Amino acid sequence: MSLKRREARLGWGLVSIYLLYTAIFWGYPFVWMLILAFSRWKFVGSPKFVGLQNFFRIFEDKIFWRVFLNTMNFLSYFIPMVFIASILFAIALNRMKYFKTFVTLSFLVAYVSSGVAYSIMFQRIFSETGPINRFLYNAFGITIPWFTDPQLAMLTIAIMVTWKFVGYYGLILYSGLQAIPKSIFEAAELDGATSWVKFWKITLPLLNPAIVTVLILAVNLSFGIFTEPYMITGGGPMNRTLTFMLYMYNTAFQRINPSYATTIAIMTALINFSIVIFIRKVIEKEVTVV
Amino acid sequence: MWKRVLLFMLVVLSVFAFAEVKKIVFWTAPNPNQETFWKELVEKWNAEHPDVQIEWSVIPAAGSSEEAILNAIAAGNAPDICTNIFSGFAAQLAEELDVLVAFDEEFGEEFWKLVDARKMRGILEGWKLNGHYYVIPIYSNPMLFWWRGDLLKELGYDKPPRTYSEIYELAKKWVVPKEKYVIRAVAGRNWWDRWFDFITFYYAASGGKPYIENGKAVFNNEYGKAVAEFIYTLFKNGWTAVDLGQDPFENGTILGQLMGPWHLNYTKEHYPEVYPHIVMTPPPVPDNYPEDKPIYTFADTKGLVMFEHCKYKKEAFEFIKWVFSNAQNDARWIELTRMPPAREDLGTNPVFAEYMKDPYFAKIAEAVAYAVPPAMITNTIDVQNAMTTYLMEPLMYLKATPEEALKQAVKEINALLW
Repeated sequence: MSLKRREARLGWGLVSIYLLYTAIFWGYPFVWMLILAFSRWKFVGSPKFVGLQNFFRIFEDKIFWRVFLNTMNFLSYFIPMVFIASILFAIALNRMKYFKTFVTLSFLVAYVSSGVAYSIMFQRIFSETGPINRFLYNAFGITIPWFTDPQLAMLTIAIMVTWKFVGYYGLILYSGLQAIPKSIFEAAELDGATSWVKFWKITLPLLNPAIVTVLILAVNLSFGIFTEPYMITGGGPMNRTLTFMLYMYNTAFQRINPSYATTIAIMTALINFSIVIFIRKVIEKEVTVV
Repeated sequence: MWKRVLLFMLVVLSVFAFAEVKKIVFWTAPNPNQETFWKELVEKWNAEHPDVQIEWSVIPAAGSSEEAILNAIAAGNAPDICTNIFSGFAAQLAEELDVLVAFDEEFGEEFWKLVDARKMRGILEGWKLNGHYYVIPIYSNPMLFWWRGDLLKELGYDKPPRTYSEIYELAKKWVVPKEKYVIRAVAGRNWWDRWFDFITFYYAASGGKPYIENGKAVFNNEYGKAVAEFIYTLFKNGWTAVDLGQDPFENGTILGQLMGPWHLNYTKEHYPEVYPHIVMTPPPVPDNYPEDKPIYTFADTKGLVMFEHCKYKKEAFEFIKWVFSNAQNDARWIELTRMPPAREDLGTNPVFAEYMKDPYFAKIAEAVAYAVPPAMITNTIDVQNAMTTYLMEPLMYLKATPEEALKQAVKEINALLW
């Protein structure tokens, strides 16, 4: 046996575990997905081939496009909120001298807490008779219908999700900040740059990789929101908090239509990928610190 | 040598004896009172029948029992027999998925014997699907309107309001903005909540007429308009709200609500001071509803089904028969759950005489005759989601007039039924 063959054998041996894993947990579902998307199946019996019917149906499905608008709506609230909050968190962390670990951990607690648990908590806090509304009513005589107003409900969910992810995204940005050499800032100071100029001309451009990472994570997250609307609003009021995941779930398990749910999943993935590609094309810059 | 042979025979025999135990997986509704009921019975059965053992558990937690059961069917671990099935879901399981046993086909004479023993021939007709019977009805809950008798007395009322206008009058006297409301008009945001608001009100207003007939939504009529107008008026004037807080009826936030019998034990346990003051009436009706005509309501009725994949159908049916041909079991059911069993002899059978003395139960049992089950359609969930989105929510948030909302809802539902 030549050395080359032995090497190859070892290589395949090492990779085989991973390949087997992929075949079972990725390959099989992927094939099944393709079968489902082009057929009609209801959990029992064998799928009936229907060609592109499921895809045609999506273009006529008003609710699907309502969900698309909801997701865009969520993105428009969530991205600015989470971005500003995490960058502030990262900068604050960067300037701290003591208790850094403690503060970081406190913010990360939100990230690791159970979605179901904090959904229930926020539902209580924002409820018509909850502490926030009670305070507002006693102080100003008004209440805010956080979860019951069609426009506000998505904003409220965006606030909750922001709370959850500030620590995590902030940490990514913070490590980006750490990677910027101090010498660049010192040189800028010698040239008489103000803090504002330093932030705009040095920090933000050099943070680009971390910012793109956070943006892409945030976009992918927005397409995968499920727990909060499932627990709190059920997709209402007026379908305004219906998300792709929730719609898929309802279609598969409430309306007994797993094949159409799969088609929705494929469309969702396509929309999600195109937005990610768009972000990378427009925002991503090659950053090198010489 | 002989000893060895004997020993060997013993071992073989015992192996066969163990192998002979037939297991039947049985799921019931996740409700503490019903759990007590089934636990007792299953223990008794298992003790008496060592060869047929019931493996009993509650339906796993999910958004709803329907979801849990569908998930189980998809995963291939559905039970053999299961309770808590409403008519629309049974239609879905039988017609769309074809996974249910038709009792009349499978067990013939035996099934009809059970039907007669339990006095449920008439009730069973409401469960007929394509000429077959896939469900054994367990209970029928007429939805009634509960009023706080004590608070009404303080306001100078001897009896609760009967019509929409009387409720408006009451609201003017009682409501304090953001604090106290007159009644709960909307049950919630889930698809099944429509049974407990719009559909109940509609049955009351129309004298029990169907809201879906011959595959078409027909509730855009004078009755539907009256109900929509009623709900809209309550929201427009701030006489009710979407979110009324925890237990609004018991805490005195509202004077009345539509409620099913399952809530009686809850109130008794957690609010013993409120319990004696519950006054039950049929749901409110439009002002022009004749005084002498009985008022209809919605029947929340659930039953038991057997799945096609059940290995020991005969044994499973033996168990069902053992439970339901004994009136004592139904008596125990009333005692634990306060829900009327699906039988026609509640008022006449001496076994139930004691329970008919309880004024609440008597009221509920009386209403059974005027309680109409939901429409037997396979896409109940879609239809009622559309009812939520296009009818109830626009009324709740004052986004559309009652006429517009009704028109839109009927249009959307007909598109679904088509």
